[in-house]
Amino acid sequence: MKISPYMAFAKKSFLQKSAYRLEHWMGILNTLIRLVIYVEIYRALYGGRETVDGITMSMVTTNFILSLGLESFFVVNDYYLSSRLYDGSIATEMLLPVSFHGRMLADNLGTAAFKLIFHFVPAMIVACLFIGIQAPAGPVMFGLFILSALLGYGVLWSISFLFQMFSFWLMNVWAVMTIKNVFINVLSGSMIPLWFMPGFMRTLIGFTPFESIYFTPVQIYLGKITGSEIILGFAKQIIWIVALLLLGFMVWQKGQKKIVVQGG
Amino acid sequence: MNFIEVQDISKTFKVNKRKAGIPGMIANMFAPKFEYKEAVKKISFNIEKGEMVGFIGPNGAGKSTTIKMLSGILCPDEGKISVGGYIPYKQRKEYVADIGVVFGQKSQLQWDLPVIDSFELLKAIYRIPEDKYKKNLDRYTDMLDMNGFINQPVRQLSLGQRMRSDIVASLLHSPEIVFFDEPTIGVDIIGKETIRSFIKELNEKDKVTMIFTTHDMQDIEQTCNRLIIIDKGSIMYDGSLHEIRNKYGTSRELIAEFNEETRVQPINDVIIEDKEDRRVSFTFDNNVTDVNKLMHEILGKYSVRDITVKEPEIESIIQKMYTGEAFV
Repeated sequence: MKISPYMAFAKKSFLQKSAYRLEHWMGILNTLIRLVIYVEIYRALYGGRETVDGITMSMVTTNFILSLGLESFFVVNDYYLSSRLYDGSIATEMLLPVSFHGRMLADNLGTAAFKLIFHFVPAMIVACLFIGIQAPAGPVMFGLFILSALLGYGVLWSISFLFQMFSFWLMNVWAVMTIKNVFINVLSGSMIPLWFMPGFMRTLIGFTPFESIYFTPVQIYLGKITGSEIILGFAKQIIWIVALLLLGFMVWQKGQKKIVVQGG
Repeated sequence: MNFIEVQDISKTFKVNKRKAGIPGMIANMFAPKFEYKEAVKKISFNIEKGEMVGFIGPNGAGKSTTIKMLSGILCPDEGKISVGGYIPYKQRKEYVADIGVVFGQKSQLQWDLPVIDSFELLKAIYRIPEDKYKKNLDRYTDMLDMNGFINQPVRQLSLGQRMRSDIVASLLHSPEIVFFDEPTIGVDIIGKETIRSFIKELNEKDKVTMIFTTHDMQDIEQTCNRLIIIDKGSIMYDGSLHEIRNKYGTSRELIAEFNEETRVQPINDVIIEDKEDRRVSFTFDNNVTDVNKLMHEILGKYSVRDITVKEPEIESIIQKMYTGEAFV
């Protein structure tokens, strides 16, 4: 059988993921615990009311289930490049006749596929049964939601890709990645539903790529945005992916010349 | 145009210079000091198709850096490299499909998987057609005697077995050029012998161009016809092994064993040294003193039981070159 090199990489990372079972069960538990905590905090804040500022409690719950669900299989390995630079295996990596970025993406997608089946699905079933999720705003909107979620992954991956390029200059990118991830957590709606952000903050976040990751798909799912707003949402997602990748490649071109192979 | 052309390449690394201990650490945090280390300084050479070239030099001479630039991993700061029409660091993806690289100290095999699984993955990566893959795999595993461990996970292999597996891994796609960076490091004598004869056969039969670095002069003596010696980032010697002997290894040692205690009279340009068991050593320069004449003189004057002439080991010649003695 002839498979493309990238499929081979994806398959390998899919299989490797299945080797660590305990980590896997803990991952599902982690998603569910966070979900319960976030939902319960908002239930307390709502204090028995059905709506606050026109936002229903069930919308909040749905926002959390969807964004934490997506997060559970939106795999990006922030340390892919830096770990290879650190231990010197970048040398053998560069000797493979494949695109480094393509290989990185394939590796992430292999893991993501594993997580989608064995993490997202069980977590979703438990969440829907015990917490309850609002139905999508119609079959068309559900389709658009899936499309938008895929683009959301693209945005998340592109952000990580750009930030990883700092590895060429900083051997340790942990601090940079942590700051990046705080921004994603707070500004993407997976921790605080963006409806509750004050007006000027919403406008500000609108100019960042973060809301394109989880919040745009959630809005589409709930039918909170329609027509031209959906088109604008998709446009933003695509523009961010293209812009971030372009920038990332430019930095890559510069950084590639700075590669140092550690350890002989 | 030559197959491999290297013109005035240089590579400098920036090294953080830090004083030891906690004061050094604190100073480094606020005002880091850097030092520039020139690993390779304006190196030039050409290699033709089918050649087998040995790169030698002491640790830190710039051999591996040169190999890494040639194989497209590192980008030279200055200068030009062209291999088979490719510019390695610019056309990396296309270029590396045609080359093979073996790093003695870095494995490209999957640590947890059986050797054969890594080979299968490489087959997909290089898009090797099934029949070619099968042919190469059978031939190489047979030549390197690998059938006993091809189904074992890499982590369970001995160093020699791993090295052989890595060599096969780099050859499955039939590359035109193979770079070996210390392929025999840490391997036992039998393993080394297997690897050497394999490399030699590949070069002779398949006309694969090969460049390899090593610290083991035996590797060079048995495989390479051309030698490039690098030290402190510059080329010190580029030529045949034979020539290096003629040029730098001209000293000879003649040892005569006499039948009785003998006091040898001084001879011009010859260093005479008494040794135990009635033996005397005569050290001379082959270009200055004629061996024939010297032997006649000794045999004519004294009663000799045995006589031997030794030429210096290639190792000691190279050693002299590293320390600079050969140029005095």
